[in-house]
Amino acid sequence: MSGAFPNGPLFVGRGLTKVYVSGEVEVRALDGVDLELYPGELIVLLGASGSGKSTLLNNLGGLDVPTSGTLTYRGRDLTHADEEDLTAFRRDAVGFVFQFYNLIPSLTARENVALITEIARDPMAPEEALELVGLGDRMDHFPSQMSGGQQQRVAIARAIAKRPEVLLCDEPTGALDVKTGIAVLEAIEKVNRDLGTLTVIITHNAVMAEMADRVIHLSDGKISHIDRNPQRRPARSLQW
Amino acid sequence: MLSALDRKLLRDVGRMKGQMVAVGLVMACGLAMMIMARSLILSLEVTRAEYYERHRFADVFCDLKRAPNALRERLAAIPGVAAVETRVKESVRMDLPGMVEPADGTILSLPEDRPMQLNLLHLRTGRYPEIGKANEIIMSEAFANAHGFRPGDTVEVILRGGKQKLQVVGIALSPEYVFEARPGQALPDNRRFGVFWMNERDLATACDLDGAFNNVVVDVAPGQDPAPVMAEIDRLLEPYGGLIAYDRRDHASAKQLDDEIAILNALSIAFPIVFLSIATFMTSAVLARVIRLQREQIAQLKAFGYSSAQVGWHYLKFSFVIVAIGLVVGGLAGTKLGHDVVRLYHKFFQFPSLTFHPDYGAIGLAFVVSSAASFLGVLGAVRQAVKLPPAQAMRPEPPADFKPSLLERLGVQNLFGPSMRMALRNLERKPWQAAFTTLGLALAVGIPIVPGAMRDGINFLLDFQWTHAQRQDVTVSLIEPTSASGFSDLRHLPGVIHAEPFRSVPARLRFGHRSHRLAVTGVPPGTLLNRALDRHGNPLPIPPDGLLISAKLAEMLGVKPGDPVMMEVQEGRRPHRSVPVVGLITDYSGLSAYMDIGALRRLMQEGSTVNGAHLSVDRARWKEFLDEVGEVPRIGGINITSALKESFRKTTAESINLIQGIYFLFSVIVAFGVVYNSARIALSERGRDLATLRVVGFTNREVAGVMIGELAMLTLFALPIGLWIGGQLANLIVISASTETVRLPLILTHQTYATAVLIVLVSAGFSFFVVSRRIRNLDLLEVLKARE
Repeated sequence: MSGAFPNGPLFVGRGLTKVYVSGEVEVRALDGVDLELYPGELIVLLGASGSGKSTLLNNLGGLDVPTSGTLTYRGRDLTHADEEDLTAFRRDAVGFVFQFYNLIPSLTARENVALITEIARDPMAPEEALELVGLGDRMDHFPSQMSGGQQQRVAIARAIAKRPEVLLCDEPTGALDVKTGIAVLEAIEKVNRDLGTLTVIITHNAVMAEMADRVIHLSDGKISHIDRNPQRRPARSLQW
Repeated sequence: MLSALDRKLLRDVGRMKGQMVAVGLVMACGLAMMIMARSLILSLEVTRAEYYERHRFADVFCDLKRAPNALRERLAAIPGVAAVETRVKESVRMDLPGMVEPADGTILSLPEDRPMQLNLLHLRTGRYPEIGKANEIIMSEAFANAHGFRPGDTVEVILRGGKQKLQVVGIALSPEYVFEARPGQALPDNRRFGVFWMNERDLATACDLDGAFNNVVVDVAPGQDPAPVMAEIDRLLEPYGGLIAYDRRDHASAKQLDDEIAILNALSIAFPIVFLSIATFMTSAVLARVIRLQREQIAQLKAFGYSSAQVGWHYLKFSFVIVAIGLVVGGLAGTKLGHDVVRLYHKFFQFPSLTFHPDYGAIGLAFVVSSAASFLGVLGAVRQAVKLPPAQAMRPEPPADFKPSLLERLGVQNLFGPSMRMALRNLERKPWQAAFTTLGLALAVGIPIVPGAMRDGINFLLDFQWTHAQRQDVTVSLIEPTSASGFSDLRHLPGVIHAEPFRSVPARLRFGHRSHRLAVTGVPPGTLLNRALDRHGNPLPIPPDGLLISAKLAEMLGVKPGDPVMMEVQEGRRPHRSVPVVGLITDYSGLSAYMDIGALRRLMQEGSTVNGAHLSVDRARWKEFLDEVGEVPRIGGINITSALKESFRKTTAESINLIQGIYFLFSVIVAFGVVYNSARIALSERGRDLATLRVVGFTNREVAGVMIGELAMLTLFALPIGLWIGGQLANLIVISASTETVRLPLILTHQTYATAVLIVLVSAGFSFFVVSRRIRNLDLLEVLKARE
């Protein structure tokens, strides 16, 4: 998927700045970030705690708006979007995967996915999404009956079932051991490859950078540098 | 200096003040009811005891026809008698300026040649009549106030057919007329009934009772059983036309007070129990949630070296805060309501001074009961929290375990969307929480049904009693039984369209060991006016032989149709006859026994004697009729049906409005509190789920929908249960408030049900609206971070 991007960038950020004021302290979580993210790319955001990677992800996902600078998605201004626009944006365009899965405990795997497909415009069947992440045989299990890795894969199925253009993953393997973490990364990789979804993964695990098209390094709210991998490494071959 | 732990308590309480207040208010409802009722009981009992004691209220009462004053000595000599008062007691009528309908009352003698012994008056203003001075009276305060009479005013009364102009010299109260109403009447009508006192000699002369008396009241020595005293009085007075002596239990005024206190007693127990149970559960639910959220803090406290007891005590203090809110609000509200009810009591009960005495004992008891209840509510959660070893408690709670709900296991899962399934599974996972929430809401639905049923019951009673059963416009009673000519005088009054005579004799009906004193009324067969009706409102024919009696009386005596009762007449030759009960009458006010007038006269061995007549009067000639009826000699009382009905309606309206206001408020508080509390707990337990839904693109409205589903289901489930509970509650209250004088029928209308449902839906809806605004403030970013 690397190489030319004929459709132009999905996200364009210029001078993105986010300042949190807490009491008398001002924290510049993002400090003048410029970036362009293209369809089908797999991006890894690397950085230490407090480097601003979560803030960037939140801005990309429409959970927060920058204090200054501009952010557009397909030319649509997200900087000045109101609550309703942001909800619609998240609903139609973005899939989220969280560190702690955030499944609804009272719903089975299939129902957790169905929760999203029922409000989406052009979803795949929940079963199809679960097959895609290799959970075709666990559809009727409740979260409490599944391992962490399985729960995370349900979360990925839930995120991609509506065929989003963007998949945002916040430390998706943070709570998992290596083996299950790899299985989850494989699922993400497969979604990115098969569906051509722009995928952004936050991590502070540098090993994961090797599976990306581009690696964006953040530090103190700024992009310190961007690496481009000539060849993506399959998730299966990663070791940490 | 506050300890660090107490500071934590204050801040935690501050953060959850909405829930604390919601629970506290539900508790306050129960405590308010309890404090109000107990304080009213105390107020009535204290005031009554003091009044009876200080004004020497008699223990035994007896009416007779005529006995010489010399008999007083023999009555006083009866063993066990501490004091005797012989009196002249007569009914009077009066035409008052500005009143179309006549008023009547009772006039009693004041001793002149000896000090007054019993039933001493409380002189409010003015003075006693001068000895030897004619035409001076003391007037009862309620009647004087109703008409604006003051000492110095004159009033024209008709006493035994003779008109007299009397001067009011004093205004007073009497312990025997705390409840000042015409005998047998359910409610006082102070404009149309009054009590008067006059010098003995004057009154005796006017009543042809010179040197004689027709009423005696007796004080029984302390510790003496009144029964043998009454038996002896009966024996002594029999030759003088004595009726059977009775004690305070049968005294009209004293009995009304007893009934009121009995109702308050029931109220002071039943309602607090219900409200406190709901509050206990709510406390338990709120604090169990707090404790679950603070697992890690509890572990840390224990790791620092706080003992389980210290930690447990800290969490028990939360329930203290709720009790404090409940007690302060409940105490204030109970006192306020108590004052309102005391103000209402002034219309019904005439005391020298009836003031509200807060029952501090009850407040103390309320504190103990509500503390104990809320302690019980949190004990389980606290014990669980302190039992956990710190290392285990520091780890977050394991994920909640779910399974398909019962309905889904039954194979109907396709009917439900994911939101509905979430709701169903949540309910099934916490059945007790769901049950109590439902119960609380059901209670909220049930509460407003009670005043609705009372209001409809009163309207039904008014209609049944005074439109269908008693169709006469006027009932005229004579001072004494007279011959047929007395009836003829009444029948020929101007405007009288139809007249029916009645003969009424005092009697005791006895069945086995039970008996009851009342008037047996003889009416002509085929009566059109004063009718005896059955359960369906159809007239019962007057049997040629035997009695029709009130169903309530049959219940009191334990008789059923066909059973013979012993009828012991207390007038004339005092015949005792066994008479069969032929049928039961449905009526809602007073107790009645009807007989064929001919049969009754045969039993009395007399001719065509009458006591009065029921009249139907042409409205066009109403004024003329009233002018003339006043001139008929020997008339004792004139009861105008429409006036009775109107007075009853007016007197009950204010009480019902007050009760309705209280019940509606309580219902709103419970409905709002229960829904608010459940929603806040759900929001806290599932905030993360709900925020996740927001993140993945659900709108605020959709998320609220997910949350409302569960509560809406419980609310809908609670509605029919609540309607049932309300019906039972209303039935219970109607039964407990059912006395000889008034029995409310249980009338449950669609309107009452609809009002109850509406109150709860609106309160629940508003409560939900308040909570759902918090969904908007869910911290979406927090979801992406670590688990709580």
